[in-house]
Amino acid sequence: MQGVGSVLVRARGLTKTFGEGHAQARVLDGAGLEVARGEFIAVVGKSGSGKSTLLHLLGGLDRPDSGEIELDGVRIDRLDERGLTAIRRHKIGFVFQAFHLLPELTGVENVLLPARLARDGVEAAPRAKELLERLGLARIARRLPTELSGGEQQRLAIARALINDPALVLADEPTGNLDEESGADVLNLLRRLTDSDRSVVLVTHDRAATSIADRVLRLEGGRLVA
Amino acid sequence: MIPVVRHGLARLRNDRARTALLIVGVTAAAAMVGAAVTVAYALATAFDRSAAAAAMPDVTAQFAQQPLAPVAARVRALVNVRAAAYRIEAKGVDLTAGPRFATAVVDGVRNDGPRGYALTSGRDIRHRDEVVIEEGLARSWHVHLADRLTLGGDPLGVVGLATTPGTVAYPLSRSPRLYVSYDTARRLTGGAAGVNEVLLWLNDPSQVDVTLAQARAASFGLRDLQFVTRSGYRHLIGRAAGLVISLLVAFSAIVLLAAGVMLGASAAAEMQRRREAIGVLRAFGATPSSIAVGYAVESAAVAAPAACVGLVAGAAVVASPLRHLLGILNEITPPALTTFGLLAAAWAAIVLVVAAATWVPAWRAGRERIVDTLRGGDVVGAPKRVPLPALAGFGARLTLARPARAATLVTVLAASTAVVLLMLAIADVLHGLQRNAQTLGTRYQLTVAASDISLAEVREVPGVAAATLRYESDAADSFDLGESFKLVGFAGDVTSYESPPVDSGRRARGIGEAEVGAGLADALDLHAGGTLAAQLPSGREVRFRVVGIVDALRDEGLVAYVRAERLRAAMPAASTEIAIKLAQGASLNDVRNALLGRGVHADKTGGISEDSGLDTSGRASFLRVLAALLRSVAVLDGLVCVYALAQILALIARERRRAVAVIRALGASRAQVFAVFAGAAVLLAALALPIGVGVERAVLGPAVARLAVSYVTLSLKAGSSAILVVAGALAVAAAVAAGWATRTATADAIVAPLRED
Ligand SMILES: Nc1ncnc2c1ncn2[C@@H]1O[C@H](COP(=O)(O)OP(=O)(O)OP(=O)(O)O)[C@@H](O)[C@H]1O
Ligand SMILES: [Mg+2]
Repeated sequence: MQGVGSVLVRARGLTKTFGEGHAQARVLDGAGLEVARGEFIAVVGKSGSGKSTLLHLLGGLDRPDSGEIELDGVRIDRLDERGLTAIRRHKIGFVFQAFHLLPELTGVENVLLPARLARDGVEAAPRAKELLERLGLARIARRLPTELSGGEQQRLAIARALINDPALVLADEPTGNLDEESGADVLNLLRRLTDSDRSVVLVTHDRAATSIADRVLRLEGGRLVA
Repeated sequence: MIPVVRHGLARLRNDRARTALLIVGVTAAAAMVGAAVTVAYALATAFDRSAAAAAMPDVTAQFAQQPLAPVAARVRALVNVRAAAYRIEAKGVDLTAGPRFATAVVDGVRNDGPRGYALTSGRDIRHRDEVVIEEGLARSWHVHLADRLTLGGDPLGVVGLATTPGTVAYPLSRSPRLYVSYDTARRLTGGAAGVNEVLLWLNDPSQVDVTLAQARAASFGLRDLQFVTRSGYRHLIGRAAGLVISLLVAFSAIVLLAAGVMLGASAAAEMQRRREAIGVLRAFGATPSSIAVGYAVESAAVAAPAACVGLVAGAAVVASPLRHLLGILNEITPPALTTFGLLAAAWAAIVLVVAAATWVPAWRAGRERIVDTLRGGDVVGAPKRVPLPALAGFGARLTLARPARAATLVTVLAASTAVVLLMLAIADVLHGLQRNAQTLGTRYQLTVAASDISLAEVREVPGVAAATLRYESDAADSFDLGESFKLVGFAGDVTSYESPPVDSGRRARGIGEAEVGAGLADALDLHAGGTLAAQLPSGREVRFRVVGIVDALRDEGLVAYVRAERLRAAMPAASTEIAIKLAQGASLNDVRNALLGRGVHADKTGGISEDSGLDTSGRASFLRVLAALLRSVAVLDGLVCVYALAQILALIARERRRAVAVIRALGASRAQVFAVFAGAAVLLAALALPIGVGVERAVLGPAVARLAVSYVTLSLKAGSSAILVVAGALAVAAAVAAGWATRTATADAIVAPLRED
């Protein structure tokens, strides 16, 4: 582990183009950012400006057309699928706007899923229990997602993102589908994550979110500006 | 309505993968149906059609040669007879055409009644030097109209080709059948006037029993009298054809069921994905029924050409083997027009089924509340607890989330498993028949007439391991004269020459003991320990103690095997042959030629020695072809299983693409995605296997065994090796299907499904 404040993510010159011919659109055009350990960054921008795309690249869900992404000293833009899988397992925690809990699995099973994928399910069980308690979810751990409120589902999704103890949590409009009160709960939770030296990149439209961030970046014309 | 249909056609163009899957599925199912319809229809109707075309007699009576007048007088005395034809039949007549040689059965035909054979080309006999030959002979010897051949030394010109229903074609039958004028046949039999065969056509064929009883009563003085009835042969053929037909029907029912389930499921999945689009269409004024019709028209537009291609392909594939099979049975292929009509009906049915399979889920989706459909949605409502290891268990839950679909697929897999096991069991039995002389019972390979050569001389021929005298006689049960059977006796040890499997009791050893075929035991209600009282044609009676019931295949099991002593004493004139066993490795043809060199013609028995004669036996090669055919049908059926499994996993992968994307985003490797799908497939296969095995062993096997041959007990229960093979194949199928689903599920970028909100 490096010291507090050292750089966790360094991205430079990212470009990403979708579509072909007339429909072609360059969504990212030389975007770059640095995220320090323990830093909370909010990314804002108009709808369709490429915020989600940026998050997908940082999380190893997609690849840039060009540019570099270094995560914890590893050039993830150069990794093969196997390497990316390992990054997703151990370094990244993703929180989606639509929660994306698996409807077949109970709350605790959803939370444990990434640990099981990392073949760490048994050891992770007490950690899951503790996480659920900390997030006030112990009561609903054995229920199916369809039986839960939006706020409860999103808190479960955050617990799932944390189970493998990732260095970077990426959250794509996690409050977009929630009412004001639940949204505030979720934001608090995310903010507290940085206490333990984790970094958070949050994509949001929410004013409340930008006010608690260390830095706010705006995505415009394919680039990130302060 | 028009915009809805247009929307449907646009969907077809845009979703090429789904359209391709639909085309492949419909084509494959249609091909199977086309094959099944063609074969089943032809087999079900061929005998009646051929019998009608040939004006097959209702009764054929054969007897030792008699002058015509007294026979005709007796026949005239019978009631219910519409027409009669008198013939003289010569057996064992030398036939040569160029370098080829065979011993033929020759019928001398008087122009006194219907023919009883169907001319397939050329014309009937008009002169003494003309001959009509059976098609099988023309086929295998490449003989054509106007060719010449030599029959018993006389040169004859071929004027027609014919088939005779009720017989098996040359070369499967050992002797080709030829028709000549009465005078020619008379010359071949030695010149004496008379007849030895009467063909009878009845006014009321259903009363054939009465006529037979009357004929037996009036037959005093006719020696070696034997009756063959059209209804009896029809029954025999019907049973064999019934076996094939029911197998085909079972198999295509499975395929159709599979196709229907797959289509319905894929349509339902499509609706799930399209709920939002349906909601939008309805929000702008489309009615539920117009939406359903739009979807039905869409799939019918794809199914119509695919079904057409599939049906034609299926019918074409079986056309040649079918013609071959019918040719062997001396039956006529059905008119192309009727077959075409049936295929057209099948086409309409398939298109209708496909349209209905899409119409139903679309109609249901169209009737949901608009606001619900607009919300779209993933599949929910999974059962709560499935105690299985994590990922495979997750896959199992994905499958069980749709219990009805899972149940139908399990049914399809179980049915396929049962049919495959049955095919393998039948193939095993056929293989056994072909390989193991023990099963057929006959353990000698050649016979010669005892009047031509002495036993000692035969034993000196190189390649002969053993020879003994064999007696065969017709007999009737003394208590109930209606039941006639064959009595076969051997000098010395019976069982080293004839040893069909013992069903109950033991082998015959003593002079007064008999092994009785299961058919005869059934007919006379005989058991081990009972008495067989046989009335011989000489009028004498001989009695034997029944010690064993055996599964004899010949004469429908109406046969008894005994020691020769009593038979010889009771009937000095019983036809006597010498049964010859070949030495290990001796060539059947060398021995026959050696005997021919001594002026003796030897007949093949079809009995198979342990390591020789296999390839010279027509029956063995026929059985081999049949076994291979069944095994390939089993493999085909296995492929259907793979397709069904792959289809359902592809469906799951489609329906649950977002779930797959989520677990990939959380760090699942390809192998872990595979584990999810394998879990789903293994669950289905593991449920299907025991059901399929149970159904085959408890229901299908016994039923088909009864249908096939009621006069022997065949075990068609799948053995453990077959079950192991099928279990292994199912595991492979599950792995292949899971691999395929993994490929499709991981081919896309992760983010695309995640964006679908
Ligand atoms: N897989 C894809 N295929 C085609 N186009 C895409 C794809 N992903 C994103 N785009 C396009 O890229 C652009 C940026 O999309 P992105 O989802 O990153 O925007 P966003 O800033 O997250 O918008 P929002 O605030 O609405 O979520 C959009 O125009 C979108 O249509
Ligand atoms: Mg977005």
